[in-house]
Amino acid sequence: MQNWKQNYSSFKQKKTHEDPTIPDQRSEKPLDPDLKNNIKAISQIFGEDADLVVRNFRVYGLYDAVIIFFSSLVDQNQIHEHVLKPLMSPPADLSTIPEERKDLPDFIWNTTIQIAAGNRTKDLNSLPLALLEGSVVLLIDGMDQALHFNLRKIEHRSIEQPQTEQVIRGSREGFIENLEANLSLLRYRLQTPDFRVITAPLGVRTRSQVAVCYIEGIVDPELVEKVMKRLSMINTDSILDAGYIEQFIEDNPLSPFPQVQPTERPDKSAAALLEGRVIILVDGSPFSLIVPALFNQFFQTIDDYSERFIVGSLIRGIRLIALLFSLFFPALYVSVISFNPELMPTEFAVAISGGRAGVPFPAVLEVLIMEVFMEVLREATIRLPQMIGGALSIVGVLVIGQAAVSAGLASPTTVVIVAITTIGSFATPAYNAAISSRMLRFPLIILAGCFGLYGVMLGTIVIVNHLLFLESFGVPYMTPYVPTKWRDLKDSLIRVPLWWMRRRPSFLNTQDPTRLAHELPTTYSDQIFKEKGELDEQQPPHNNDPSRGSSR
Amino acid sequence: MNNNRPITTIQVVAVVVSTIIGIGILSIPRYMAEAGDSGAPLVSASGIPVAFLGCWFTAAVCRKFPNETLFVFSRRLVGRSIADIFNVLISLFFAFTAGITMRQFGEVCVAVVFKKTPIEAVILLMLILAALSIRRNIVKFTYVHIFYLPFILLTVLSIILVAMKNVDALNLLPLTGNYITFSSFSKGTVTSAALYQGTFVITLLVPLMKKPQQVLKAGAAALFIIGFIYVMIVAATLGMFGAQETKLLAYPTLETARSISIGAGLLERFDALFITVWVISIFTTIFTNYYLAAYSLQQVFRYKDHRLVSSFSLPLIFVFSLLPRNIYQVYTFSSVTAIIGLIFLTLYPLLLWLIALIRQKGGLSNE
Repeated sequence: MQNWKQNYSSFKQKKTHEDPTIPDQRSEKPLDPDLKNNIKAISQIFGEDADLVVRNFRVYGLYDAVIIFFSSLVDQNQIHEHVLKPLMSPPADLSTIPEERKDLPDFIWNTTIQIAAGNRTKDLNSLPLALLEGSVVLLIDGMDQALHFNLRKIEHRSIEQPQTEQVIRGSREGFIENLEANLSLLRYRLQTPDFRVITAPLGVRTRSQVAVCYIEGIVDPELVEKVMKRLSMINTDSILDAGYIEQFIEDNPLSPFPQVQPTERPDKSAAALLEGRVIILVDGSPFSLIVPALFNQFFQTIDDYSERFIVGSLIRGIRLIALLFSLFFPALYVSVISFNPELMPTEFAVAISGGRAGVPFPAVLEVLIMEVFMEVLREATIRLPQMIGGALSIVGVLVIGQAAVSAGLASPTTVVIVAITTIGSFATPAYNAAISSRMLRFPLIILAGCFGLYGVMLGTIVIVNHLLFLESFGVPYMTPYVPTKWRDLKDSLIRVPLWWMRRRPSFLNTQDPTRLAHELPTTYSDQIFKEKGELDEQQPPHNNDPSRGSSR
Repeated sequence: MNNNRPITTIQVVAVVVSTIIGIGILSIPRYMAEAGDSGAPLVSASGIPVAFLGCWFTAAVCRKFPNETLFVFSRRLVGRSIADIFNVLISLFFAFTAGITMRQFGEVCVAVVFKKTPIEAVILLMLILAALSIRRNIVKFTYVHIFYLPFILLTVLSIILVAMKNVDALNLLPLTGNYITFSSFSKGTVTSAALYQGTFVITLLVPLMKKPQQVLKAGAAALFIIGFIYVMIVAATLGMFGAQETKLLAYPTLETARSISIGAGLLERFDALFITVWVISIFTTIFTNYYLAAYSLQQVFRYKDHRLVSSFSLPLIFVFSLLPRNIYQVYTFSSVTAIIGLIFLTLYPLLLWLIALIRQKGGLSNE
């Protein structure tokens, strides 16, 4: 308690002072030869941060020095082992220590400290940022140079199966929050020198590292340029998740449909990179963003490709049916019941009207109420801990559904329709795409309630037209259906065998349009081989042999 | 990828086809049966060459100016003020056509399927929908047509194919019709030809076509496809009901859809499917008419885009659609506009073409 009182009073005192912020990186300020002034300057910026460690010691027992670091950001074992230990113990031969003080940083850099990633600087203003990035700053009295070493170590969870995108067949790895780990997952899948990663911090206050990845030689340079341009135009203080970036860079923020595809799966990201797309990773977010993202993509999973092609195509068909269910079923039901009952077979109409006998509401209201119940239930199930969630959904669906029918709140058919709709919306693999169809269902139901089938038709036309007008990074959203790219239709509703898909999606405008080995343009790696004369003119047999398709 | 001229020839065909298939499809068998009795398929086929004339003139003159729309280059050919007058006329014509089509559509809807919906609501909703969709450029305009075309074609073709099994060939004989007179035949030809005036839309597309020289081919292919569909529908309906019965039916094609079924009740309600798709095909027709009206008016005012014009022409079209007092007037209005349109949209391109020839303006080359 006593400590907190002190904290409080010092905090109040500080408030009256001018708020010291991190100085602008661009304006340089040379290091003061006096060590104390430098320490003062740095600790003034960070105030009394509890995790800022300023450790005084003497280099080789001769020179006053200090190391500064954030204990929460760095690997302290490494500091003990590779910074403090070699610096504090004098070298075996004392005569090797340079006479002049200005040569000392060079000596330490070259002979003493065994850490790979580091830098030397004469700029005092660059040090606070280095500290925040997880560096250990070494200042020595009387030197005009500071040394800093990156010993960043952030606690992170282990690599697990992604929760949102489960697959039957496919890798069990998912991205985690740590950017380096995510990049390593990608590098491990793309062992090509053409895989490029460009990183830069984004967000004035969070300075989250944002990485743009692509494969050079495949990707359309204009696309990369476009992505970078949009990223560079982001002006905000915080990027806490990939979703923030998505909202800043998407083409049409007012659309219910996602125009950037988030994925937790490294294999999916790698596949996207190989198609010629660009992915964006954000430090601290287990999602990578795939751009451009088209309508088609949200109904494809990695499963489709690892399973045999007939199975893959069939499952895609099922998913599309599920989408149509989740979007149109309740609206069609309402319009048929209340406006065009003659469209139903007679027995069916009799059965439905028999079920509806005790229900006091019109069909629209009945369906709307049940749909809203269902949405509330779904949201509640997501927010609850997993152990309770399962139980709640069973109680909610079975008990409330049954009770609603017997209480006369809803007819049994309505319950069935609502259930089918909800299940249909769960079958869409991309959560955000499923939400959009779920959202659009409600206006359709209302239209159906007002104008019957005609309203549903108009609503459908509005939705379809909106989809046709959308673009994602300059690519029309409904490609390859409209504008029709016949070649790309091979991987749309159907998925043809992999050996037929020898070309990358044409709408991505890739530099290397084929997936075949022998048509690869000269890449960096080829050049190395050519120089050594090791690359045979005759190509080795490759897996994409077209004869495989026809041979039985 | 050529981003400046993204529209392919096939896409132009698709746009023209989906534009033209629309309101006419419901009642064409009746008109044709009235004109040609059992010779109705022949009468409807005879309209194609007449319609092709207009398409040919339009295509010919548009080919000469592959980088501009008709609304722009006509100013250089006949002078600014005269061209503007013609552009206003075109705009009015298409606005009126859109209105009358809307009204016809509303009448059918209210009479046949959506009995509880008031006609003003039917019309206004569709118009608002079109007005919202229209605020995009021509490339997006083609996308809309391309997307809906397969649905329209597949439904119509499946109806024709399924209806084929109920056709009695005797109903179609003699092929030239009984007691057919030249005047009724030619009247039928004009009625049939007037159904194809949506071909004028190619003038919008030419400046964006990858190969503007193929515009005539595209128009011809589109006319051939639609002609084939119309003739087949007329033949199927006549074959099922016979000429005398067809004359009595208000919407013979709908009746055809209603009378057919596949399997043992697998797909009994073809008419529901048909009406559903028909709403889409009406939408594409209105969409084109409205677009043309707004676009030509925009050219007259020399606005940057047609958004403002399109919003302001919405009430105008709505008023046009409410002009006829009853359903008889609707059909009188529609046939009169159709014939005026046929003459106007054939002669005006012809005029431009002749002037271009005489004054030797424009070139076939695409430099």
